[in-house]
Amino acid sequence: MNGEKPKVAFFSFTCCEGCQLAVLSCEKELPDILSLVNIVNFREAMTGKSDDYDIAFVEGSISRKEEIKKLKKIRKKAKVVVALGACSSTGGLNCLKNRFPMEEVKKIVYGKGASRYPILDTIPVMPIDSIVKVDYYIHGCPIPKKEFLSVLTSLLLGKSPEIPNHPVCVDCKLAGNICVFEKGMRCLGPITRAGCDAVCVTYGTYCWGCRGPVDNPNTQAHAETLKRYGLTVDGVMKMLDLYGRCRKARTQKGNR
Amino acid sequence: MRNIEQFRYITAAGLDKLVSRLIEDYTVFGTIKKDGFPAFSKITDVKELELAQTPTHLSAKEFLFPQRETLLKFDIRNNIHEAVIEAKEQVIIGLHSCDIHAIALMDRVFAEGRPDANYLARRNKTIIIGSDCMPDNFCFCKSMGTMNAEEGFDLFLHKVKNGYLVRVGSKKGGRLLSRYTATLRPTAGKFRELDESMKIREASFAAKLDAGVEELPAIYEGAYESPVWDKIGAICTGCGSCNNVCPTCYCFDIKDEVRPNLREGARVRVWDGCTLEDFAKVAGGHNFRKTRAERLRHRFNRKFRYLSDRFGELFCVGCGRCSRTCLVKINIVEVTNEIIRESKRAGRK
Repeated sequence: MNGEKPKVAFFSFTCCEGCQLAVLSCEKELPDILSLVNIVNFREAMTGKSDDYDIAFVEGSISRKEEIKKLKKIRKKAKVVVALGACSSTGGLNCLKNRFPMEEVKKIVYGKGASRYPILDTIPVMPIDSIVKVDYYIHGCPIPKKEFLSVLTSLLLGKSPEIPNHPVCVDCKLAGNICVFEKGMRCLGPITRAGCDAVCVTYGTYCWGCRGPVDNPNTQAHAETLKRYGLTVDGVMKMLDLYGRCRKARTQKGNR
Repeated sequence: MRNIEQFRYITAAGLDKLVSRLIEDYTVFGTIKKDGFPAFSKITDVKELELAQTPTHLSAKEFLFPQRETLLKFDIRNNIHEAVIEAKEQVIIGLHSCDIHAIALMDRVFAEGRPDANYLARRNKTIIIGSDCMPDNFCFCKSMGTMNAEEGFDLFLHKVKNGYLVRVGSKKGGRLLSRYTATLRPTAGKFRELDESMKIREASFAAKLDAGVEELPAIYEGAYESPVWDKIGAICTGCGSCNNVCPTCYCFDIKDEVRPNLREGARVRVWDGCTLEDFAKVAGGHNFRKTRAERLRHRFNRKFRYLSDRFGELFCVGCGRCSRTCLVKINIVEVTNEIIRESKRAGRK
């Protein structure tokens, strides 16, 4: 990307926009970033809009038909598409909806009259790579700031961003934590992609799996561990499903 | 034969005084209780120190070979590139015999060939204070010949009634002891007490290897195609904890991290582990050890065979940390005994 500054756009689909807030909280680095790129679309931060961009950071999962159209348009215009955060990269928490019939969730959330409004026509949730090709992923709920910075820096340098493919256990040991299983809790760390510095464990809870699984997780072996540490089969499924529901659907389709 | 000239006696209050004075003059790491478990940590008050009987969850290697350290800083606009060596005068208190043996192995790794300036600078500024221990079900240092440390420490604390028999392992250790606290000549009774507790300790090992250490490299060589690797590979999650808790796993990765201004950055070294999927992945995406079984076989061979070919010593000190941390219960003693049995069966045929 030589010549003029690359144009960067941020987009939201079904999400809380918290990952974009994480980007905005890179206050120390933003002046440097702005000297290197032009941000042309960023609903959380500016009013201007443009259809001309090189790098698209896409937050949120796809849960309505209109979103599919909009996402395809983004893919067409952008040279590089980066999934920003769990909702976008794996479907995230939103996938919990897929457990239920769509009519039922619509009624639960919007009331009995929901079916009268086409705007509320909800479809099973998908991560964005179910619809378009994604070049790079920034995982997490929310994303770690340093991962956003390292991915952006790599793109500007013209090298492939390095996304960790080892489990959270590594980050946890590097942080000097006592294993949560020793403390009587259960955790998804052994099959979840690291890169978060194991913040959840460091601050007293356990890994919920928000960054999605590593490339080749041994889920069966870990399910056995969870059972050995006292979880029922149902409990294991619930734990794996919290952030993992869509991934499973995709694997079944042979999409991965 | 014990050289009683090496020993002094200090009271419990005398140890407190020694540690308090060390804290004034050095960065001190020692064993504490973290979430109820023994762990090494920086201590700033002698009250935090709790000498542990059983091994810590993580080893103490991070104080000599940190999880992450900067090796080089650069600023391309100003054409600056400077090597970084971070080493402070430090004391590590509460290392068990296995940990002391592990440090001796790490010293060889980082000193031989091209000496590693960062490790050695830190090592030269480190004072090692050992302390005695009791085995739990995973400890097998007795089988590995690392149950006692005769050297590799500055001071070694043996708990006796009301105080400690302190074994002086270096001149530096001797100077520290006499400068910082009051010592007494130990009575014969104290030595009897030490002998008694060592006897109890020696009889307390539950885990045991069924072959001598000198036989292990050949046994591992013969076990290269053993079914045990697929068996443990099937249940391994590849979490890398065995590597990270191991006091002698020293593999690392080096990364260049560029700041968002694209001018400044740092070259950093971070721990890596051979049981992680991407460890043996090279440019172009080829992976030399694709399966978890191959990766585990590699790790076990590093401990019992490959490095003994290179250094003449086994790289397992019997601390049992890998077995203790493993959530799928892959146990280094059980695996090794299984291939020892296979080897004996094959030998009889």
